Amino acid sequence: MTTDTLTYQQAVWQRFRRRRSVRWALRGLYFGLFLALFADFLANDKPLFCQINGKIYFPVVQSYLVQLAWSHWDDPFTTEEWSEQKYTRVWYPLIPYSNTSIDHHNLSSTSPLEEQNVVSWRFRHWLGTDGVGHDVAAALVHGTRTALSAGMVAMLVASLIGIFLGALAGYFGDDGLYLSRIQVVFNLLAFPIGIFYGFGTPHYPADAPLGVLGVSLGLLWLLGIQFLANILAIAFGRIPWLGKKMRIPIDSLINRLIEVFDSVPTLLLILSMAAILARPNILYAMAIIGLISWTGIARLLRAEMLKIRQLQYIEAAQALGYSRWRIIFRHALPNALPPVLIAIAFGMASAILIEASLSVLGIGVAADTVTWGSLLRQISTTYHPEWWLAIFPGLAIFFSVLLFNYLGDGLSRAMDK
Amino acid sequence: MLQYIARRLLLFVPTLIVISFMAFGLRQLAPGDPVDTLNKSGKGEMTGDLATIERAYLEKARLLQMDKPTFYFVINASAYPDTFFRIVQRARRQTLDAILQQSGNWAAVSHYFTSLQQLDQAVRNLPISLRGETSVQTQRNVQDLQFTAQIPLIKKRVELLKKRLATNPKLAASLKQPTANLQQQFDLLQTQTQFWRLYLPSFKWYGLDNQYHHWVVGCLKGNLGISYVDGQPVTDKIKAALNWTLLINVFSIFLAYLFAIPLGVYAARRKDRWQDRVIGFFLFALFALPSFWVAIMLLVLFTTPELGMQFFTVTGISDLAEGATFGERFAANIRHLILPVICLTYGSLAYIARQMRGAMLQTLDQDFIRTARAKGMPEWKVIWRHAFRNALFPMITLFGAIFPSMLAGSILVESVFNIPGMGKLAIGAIGQQDWPVVYAVLMIGAVLTMLGILFSDLLYAWADPRISAT
Repeated sequence: MTTDTLTYQQAVWQRFRRRRSVRWALRGLYFGLFLALFADFLANDKPLFCQINGKIYFPVVQSYLVQLAWSHWDDPFTTEEWSEQKYTRVWYPLIPYSNTSIDHHNLSSTSPLEEQNVVSWRFRHWLGTDGVGHDVAAALVHGTRTALSAGMVAMLVASLIGIFLGALAGYFGDDGLYLSRIQVVFNLLAFPIGIFYGFGTPHYPADAPLGVLGVSLGLLWLLGIQFLANILAIAFGRIPWLGKKMRIPIDSLINRLIEVFDSVPTLLLILSMAAILARPNILYAMAIIGLISWTGIARLLRAEMLKIRQLQYIEAAQALGYSRWRIIFRHALPNALPPVLIAIAFGMASAILIEASLSVLGIGVAADTVTWGSLLRQISTTYHPEWWLAIFPGLAIFFSVLLFNYLGDGLSRAMDK
Repeated sequence: MLQYIARRLLLFVPTLIVISFMAFGLRQLAPGDPVDTLNKSGKGEMTGDLATIERAYLEKARLLQMDKPTFYFVINASAYPDTFFRIVQRARRQTLDAILQQSGNWAAVSHYFTSLQQLDQAVRNLPISLRGETSVQTQRNVQDLQFTAQIPLIKKRVELLKKRLATNPKLAASLKQPTANLQQQFDLLQTQTQFWRLYLPSFKWYGLDNQYHHWVVGCLKGNLGISYVDGQPVTDKIKAALNWTLLINVFSIFLAYLFAIPLGVYAARRKDRWQDRVIGFFLFALFALPSFWVAIMLLVLFTTPELGMQFFTVTGISDLAEGATFGERFAANIRHLILPVICLTYGSLAYIARQMRGAMLQTLDQDFIRTARAKGMPEWKVIWRHAFRNALFPMITLFGAIFPSMLAGSILVESVFNIPGMGKLAIGAIGQQDWPVVYAVLMIGAVLTMLGILFSDLLYAWADPRISAT
């Protein structure tokens, strides 16, 4: 294929792949995704396949069904531990421990090098155990899932906010958005009213104020009322004085907002926000990270939109009389999105780092979740530090951060930013 | 220039306001009753006169200014009275709030609660002759009721109360009036609902005498409030901590620039040679190394006796006599600061060096460098006199980006190495739910970040006069 038949995306991809560091980073990413997706099949105290009393089971698969309440455990499994069963035939996963299973024979932390109290080499803790008898290798595999999903949640939230605000700022600039006086007034009035009906009335679940359902329903109310206010405003806008257009310096406003968020000490704010969560959960902490770290995405998108809005095809779309929202979302935004990937790659790296910091400090993370950071925390709280608890999780954090930095760096070079 | 500074300082105002909203809002959401945290003994005094307990509580609350409205105004359902904030006890306010959410009629809710308190007082005032197993349990039931918010549950507990009283006719007779009153008020609460009032928003204006206003004015005057844990002024705690944090951060930034700039220049001069590749790889790796991990690894390395490398006293800043000046403390503790400073330095070092290399390459590509070379200027002069000076400009702005990330890094490094700085203070305060300290640290961190950005902008404007013109 010659270069002139390539689309922009294909050309960028080719330039991206040409770097060796990027190819290694991509392999690392695929490997990490594989670990995260199949963590239960790779490290689990339940066997993949087993035969007891002539009956055949697939416990790992079944555990998914049990979680969904589509199936239930048969008799031997409910009374005995998995490791104590009398199997006639059994296939264990690669690591025969899960991140929550406790090896009662190796309770105090066991080094990977020393003699271990295990049945056979198959059950050896190749990377040792931590202070409570968790297998370090299993914790690393499951920690990959926590780290990656944490980064993804954070970046999803950050992208939603960053793309929306960046697109508005970049497309309209300071002189592109005109609203009628009544529309401004109604929008300002509708906001507190929307907050009130979304979050302040009895139908808002007060017992789970941070539940996903409650928050999204509340936001839906807010959006609905804002929408209603705009429709009303259009109707009232026919009155000449009320309908007079005002220039909204949206670019300056959003830039100020970005400046504000940039001067917030992120880690401190996340720490203090995570500390007040009633039920610590890494996903909440991640959503908070997303709420704060959207500025990089917004800034990149704004710059890109500023360039795109000068292009002729946008002018053509405006001349055709398309609505401005259609131009923004259908025509301008798709072309402005690729550079956002750069910010997302770097953002993943810093989100993983923040997640690790939170678990190292033990703030905002449920106490029983075993993650990369929680293994490291055991080091800083004991007087006799174990090297295997420091090195392996640290390397996992280091390599994943390095990987996303390489991806971000490669992307920005490929797009020539 | 002055105009430029003035304009930049003006931008501080909205930023500070937003951050103060964040800090103050979080403080409101934080769990636990601050008065109870400050006054742990107050919680245990369940016996004794109810009014005395309330008075003691209110006194502490007044000290923390919890008896004032939270903000200048509030937008809530019209079912809430204007004076809802006067219910200072947090748990009680939440209970009443939840009951009101099921009824909408504030008068009924407050009458019900008053009748409950009257019953509580009556039980406490029982003559000695009537006290016994039943009265103690009755008192416990009444206590439970005061924190019960769900109407069906209240119903069950009122029934239970009456059943318990029925077992002891004498007790029931002496508590007849308040019990009947409670039942009556509870019935009214259930029947006289005004749900519509919960769906009607209302705006209530409280004026300047509110918690937020007092807090902000206090902050501006340098009074950051009182610690919940020991009642000490937050300002004193922060002053000592700020010294340590600034010390290690400023020192680290200085070191980072000191080493990064020659390294960047060297890498740029050896562009695409093996030296550049090796330096580039190591810088990239250093940048990705989490500082808290390095801190922990160093800790392991220097504290494990088997490794025989205990020449750094790693943990803890030694306590000196009270009167020791900061300088004396510094001299005594310099050995403790070496490792933390290393941990904070290398990340920024890697970042600055990479940027320096890029800036240097860009400058070396320009026409005036070619001219300088063409007229036969020696290479060291071209590099250091012409290219280096110009490449140094963008390094100034990096300061604004590095300073905040370094402050964040120092939170973890301080807590690993046990340095009594802002980070350790904040983490300790989070653990103890000492929110005034946490949010004061948050505000100061924001101010420091903004000052850092301002400082780098001013330096840049000073170095490049074109900036302030625009």
